[in-house]
Amino acid sequence: MSADSFTVVGKPVVRQDGREKVTGAARFADDLRFPGMLSAVMVRIPAAHALIRSVDYSAINNDPALAAICDASDVPAAKTVGIVRKDQPVFCDKKVVTPGDVIAMLLGESEEELLRLRDQVRIEYELLPVLTDYCNALAPNEPLIHPEFGSNLIVHYPLRKGNVEQGFAESDHLLEQTYTTQRVEHAYIEPECVIAIPREGRKEIQIIGSIQNPFTARRIVADVLGWPLTHVRIQQAELGGSFGGKDDIMCLLSARASIAALKTGRPVKIRYRREESILESYKRHPYTMHYKAGFMQTGKLKAMKIDIIADGGAYASMSPFTTWRTVVQATGPYEIEHVWTDVRAVYSNNPYTGAMRGFGSPQPIFAQESLMDEIAVQLGMTPDEIRRINGFRAGSITASGQELAQHDVNLVTVLDTAVGQTAFAERWQENEQHIKPTWTPSCSLDNKDFIEPDQLLQKGIGLATSFRGCSLGAEGTDAAAAYLSLRPDGSASLLCGLAENGQGLRTTYCIIAAEILGIPVDSIEYLDFDTAYIADSGPTVASRSTLMGGGAVKNAAEIVRTQLEGTLRKRWNLATDRSFVFSSGLVALVDDPAKYISFLDLCALAHSTGVNLSAIGWYRGPRVHWDESVGQGPAYFTYVYGCQVAEVTVNIGTGEVHLDHITAVHDPGTIINLLGAQGQVYGGVTQGAGYALWEEITAPNGKIKELNFDEYLIPTSLDLGTITPLFVSGKETYGPWGAKSLGEPTLELTAAAIANAVRNAVGKRFFNLPLNLEEILLQRKLRPEDPNANQ
Amino acid sequence: MTVNFVLNGKAVSLVIAANRRLIDMLRDSLGLTGTKEGCGIGECGACTVLMNGEAVNSCLILAGQVEGAEIVTIEAIAKHGTLHPVQENFLQYGAVQCGFCTPGMVLSTYALLQTNPQPSEHEIAAAISGNLCRCTGYKQILEAVQKTVEEMNSAPSEHGRS
Amino acid sequence: MIPQIEFVRPKTLHDALSILAESGDGARVIAGGTDVIPGFQQGDLRLKSARTLVDIHHLPELKNVETRDGGLAIGAGITFTDLAKHPIIAAEYPLLKQAALTVGNVQIRNRATLAGNFVNNAACADSVPPLLVYNAVLRIQSHTSVRETPLSDFLLSPNQVQLNAGELVTNIFLPKLSASHSGEFYKLGRRRGTAISRITLAVLLKVTENRIEDLRIASGAVTPIGMRFIDLEKVALGKTIDKSFLKSLANELGEHVLSKTGIRWSTPYKLPVLQQMFFQLLCRVRGCSGEAIR
Repeated sequence: MSADSFTVVGKPVVRQDGREKVTGAARFADDLRFPGMLSAVMVRIPAAHALIRSVDYSAINNDPALAAICDASDVPAAKTVGIVRKDQPVFCDKKVVTPGDVIAMLLGESEEELLRLRDQVRIEYELLPVLTDYCNALAPNEPLIHPEFGSNLIVHYPLRKGNVEQGFAESDHLLEQTYTTQRVEHAYIEPECVIAIPREGRKEIQIIGSIQNPFTARRIVADVLGWPLTHVRIQQAELGGSFGGKDDIMCLLSARASIAALKTGRPVKIRYRREESILESYKRHPYTMHYKAGFMQTGKLKAMKIDIIADGGAYASMSPFTTWRTVVQATGPYEIEHVWTDVRAVYSNNPYTGAMRGFGSPQPIFAQESLMDEIAVQLGMTPDEIRRINGFRAGSITASGQELAQHDVNLVTVLDTAVGQTAFAERWQENEQHIKPTWTPSCSLDNKDFIEPDQLLQKGIGLATSFRGCSLGAEGTDAAAAYLSLRPDGSASLLCGLAENGQGLRTTYCIIAAEILGIPVDSIEYLDFDTAYIADSGPTVASRSTLMGGGAVKNAAEIVRTQLEGTLRKRWNLATDRSFVFSSGLVALVDDPAKYISFLDLCALAHSTGVNLSAIGWYRGPRVHWDESVGQGPAYFTYVYGCQVAEVTVNIGTGEVHLDHITAVHDPGTIINLLGAQGQVYGGVTQGAGYALWEEITAPNGKIKELNFDEYLIPTSLDLGTITPLFVSGKETYGPWGAKSLGEPTLELTAAAIANAVRNAVGKRFFNLPLNLEEILLQRKLRPEDPNANQ
Repeated sequence: MTVNFVLNGKAVSLVIAANRRLIDMLRDSLGLTGTKEGCGIGECGACTVLMNGEAVNSCLILAGQVEGAEIVTIEAIAKHGTLHPVQENFLQYGAVQCGFCTPGMVLSTYALLQTNPQPSEHEIAAAISGNLCRCTGYKQILEAVQKTVEEMNSAPSEHGRS
Repeated sequence: MIPQIEFVRPKTLHDALSILAESGDGARVIAGGTDVIPGFQQGDLRLKSARTLVDIHHLPELKNVETRDGGLAIGAGITFTDLAKHPIIAAEYPLLKQAALTVGNVQIRNRATLAGNFVNNAACADSVPPLLVYNAVLRIQSHTSVRETPLSDFLLSPNQVQLNAGELVTNIFLPKLSASHSGEFYKLGRRRGTAISRITLAVLLKVTENRIEDLRIASGAVTPIGMRFIDLEKVALGKTIDKSFLKSLANELGEHVLSKTGIRWSTPYKLPVLQQMFFQLLCRVRGCSGEAIR
């Protein structure tokens, strides 16, 4: 099927769940209540690293407001959980390693009463030395966070290609820089909530929650209970935002709620307030990145050596996967002969870090795209020139030795589109040549350089490019299932094993099935997600739902369509080479369009003749592999490419950056829902802008300061100018009609583009995110807890 | 204590503890769960309702302060199954993703249009600046409201005036 | 969570003052609730001993705006929304309107009250610098007394004000101002929507034949409490206003601020930015600025 022959694919389609959401009827987990339901309150200690000496419940044990207490002694099977490394206790009984850790959970009918009781639990503990400087985590005298692993190293990924020292020797120029990025919070507007309901003589547990990945939660709960997977049934409530954030934490809360529900025989709801959500949930990894590049006078990159350390915080969580994506993509979308990369994730007593939209890519993109601009400036080139010289093309070999093939390698196309759209090169040069007022903010009181009022606001433009491996890659098994059932009246039910995260995958899937069957999107009912009814399709992560789940839905719809075609061939006595077109509720012969039947009649016919009109579709990604010792191999089976141009106005008197305009050009393959695709760009760019300018979770002594939205500042409606999404749809072998990924690509490069634009505006380069007021003016962060803050 | 007020056009009398907030009355006592709690300190706007015609954070209002007031929640914005033009345009222009901020967004824009039927682009953005959204980047929300303004001004319906 | 507490809602100001007189230490006033409720949720120590909340938000006596003695008497309980909408405030006291529109966001401004903004004496209270340059005088009432105090005397030290048990700020009086005064309010926050102030400034200036006849300067957020700079204002009197003088004034403002704050963690940023933006603000008031600030 060619792109212009689509009926609904690529059109703006209204969300299947929209009406419930605009009327307040949509049910999120905290909107649900069940008879006899208990509330839960967590018991913690205000310490980042401490040995638990004793826990004394005697003051509350007989209180009528207390229904039960759950702690480590109540965990039936696995006491610790983790998606890769099982290092996180469901309840801590020996020590805590970060202030979010939970020692016990109190259950009762009144949350208010439980909060009163919580103050009466007496916990004796001994403080241990706290490790917060993650760059030092591997030093010999630092405390070990999990001594059982013998080291604070969570994972180390080397990548070796060519001979980097030889590459440097052959280079005309060398450039070395260090970049850092901050810890940030997902800031989904709905805080965590889960309900566990014991079923059938406590042999089955039903869990309903704001759960990003129901199959992961099922596995963790089954491990903790020591039950077969089939006795754990996870249903997803409407999910109020996730962005990678409602994974581990929701698995853990599901496990705690299940333990409590089974202990009490009653439904148990855990819902977090914002402060508790930010306190305990995981964050995006802070990175410290050392880059050394060797390049020729022509602009050609010759060699790159990269050393990255990622703060995993208190638990391993997704660190082994996030940092793996980093090692694959750390050199950016540039062909470089000699590469030597080391990426390490380490433990500390900081809040733990895991999956967040972007997943190990926004950090290196900030570094490598800053570096590319600096090389351009040094060589007297424009930023687009240096990228055109080095950017991937069809047949390019990546840092891991993979040849880019079987898809349109559209890096230069997205770059040229963005550059053309914004008159980038001319404007960038004009700003570069503009002489910036010199003003050095200092505490000395006299002879201040005052800025002439008409020089206060400076304009800048900057760009960044990126490539991104689609789906899980060599991280793990990559397959998905979808169930489609046609009803005798031509309507259909659909369910895929990937869970809606609010981004709109249900609508995307309905569009795909509707396109194949030639029926209206709204004649397809998308079923409620329940692990009991659909096969494990892996997590909704890695921008894989359109690609993988979409592939499965398309497969299911094609199976059913084939059944219908068979029915019709039989009825019309047709040879097998006659083919059909399914469109506008009609099924007609391709070579004789006058011969047709309504879709409805065909369904009724098939039903009456006993034809199976239900199917389970399946889509498996092609094989990929990775040699861990040298970091070589085809890491992902396909890639997407993006270029964003940021236009900013910087107030050089205050350091305020205003985003005037962002042009986001992406190649996500074939677009399924235009409205949804544009929404992904707007949302991703806005999150990326928050990462660039405002957002930061600081944790002096391991304790988070920004526990609510008064201090953790995400962008509001007044903080961004216009955003222009532009799509370049390249050809792609995989995915439904070649549709691939967009969710994360939109976010990962925004901060880099903004940083480059700010550099263009003020003539200074910045190495540390976020570019907040102090960073822009002083090129450093100011914090009350800094050792020499109060000289 | 007893609190008497008008909720979505109907008189309500509730016996409730003094430390409960308007949002608790709506969600826990009256089962109107369309109003969401995102932060509890008036920073996110997910709990926005109308109080005497003005958008307010229902997490910052004590039950007793509601005495005698008129409250309108998201449940009463669509009339007899027909969506308000703002709601309809939220759908048409892709202003909804996860939907958790949506009720508050709808109420903030509804309140704006009640008092200012021809808001500028900036006025619309300012009216929802107390409503945090993490999914949409606000762009499609702003577009939906702008389209609503255009539609309402070209073909005035009774809906917006109710 | 909000603790179990008694809630009273007096029908009149008179009743409210009686209740405050009777309830002693455990009584706290609540108006818009935009400070009190987050205070409870975040464990504000000042609310620790609260037993009774006295709601004054609905009292009509606290909502009036009326002209008096050529000036304007504003009810202490006026919301920022109503304040910003008021035609006399917009015309005569525009800095106060500007400041009102920077408070929180629509939902907050629909509830938060003028007096509620400054009775805690938080340095970041946006209404304080404009009120200070307008020489605001507070009417403070108790069950048995009425007194008037300039806002500048009322604000003592961080979180401390000159308010006795049982007293309530009921009215804010802004004296008449000559039409030849011009001024600006400036607020710097970390973002544009719903921002807590990092720096606020209010400036009122009256110039006759290029000489400064009256200059009033007040700051917030950058100083421990909102304050006027009377000594600096005196220095400026009679001086010829030109850019070099404005620069020297901005430098001197820095000295005055530093003497109030000492060097703090935020000083390396806030001090130079205050000086820079004060200079920009004065240029703007004088109309010698090319572009608007923000």
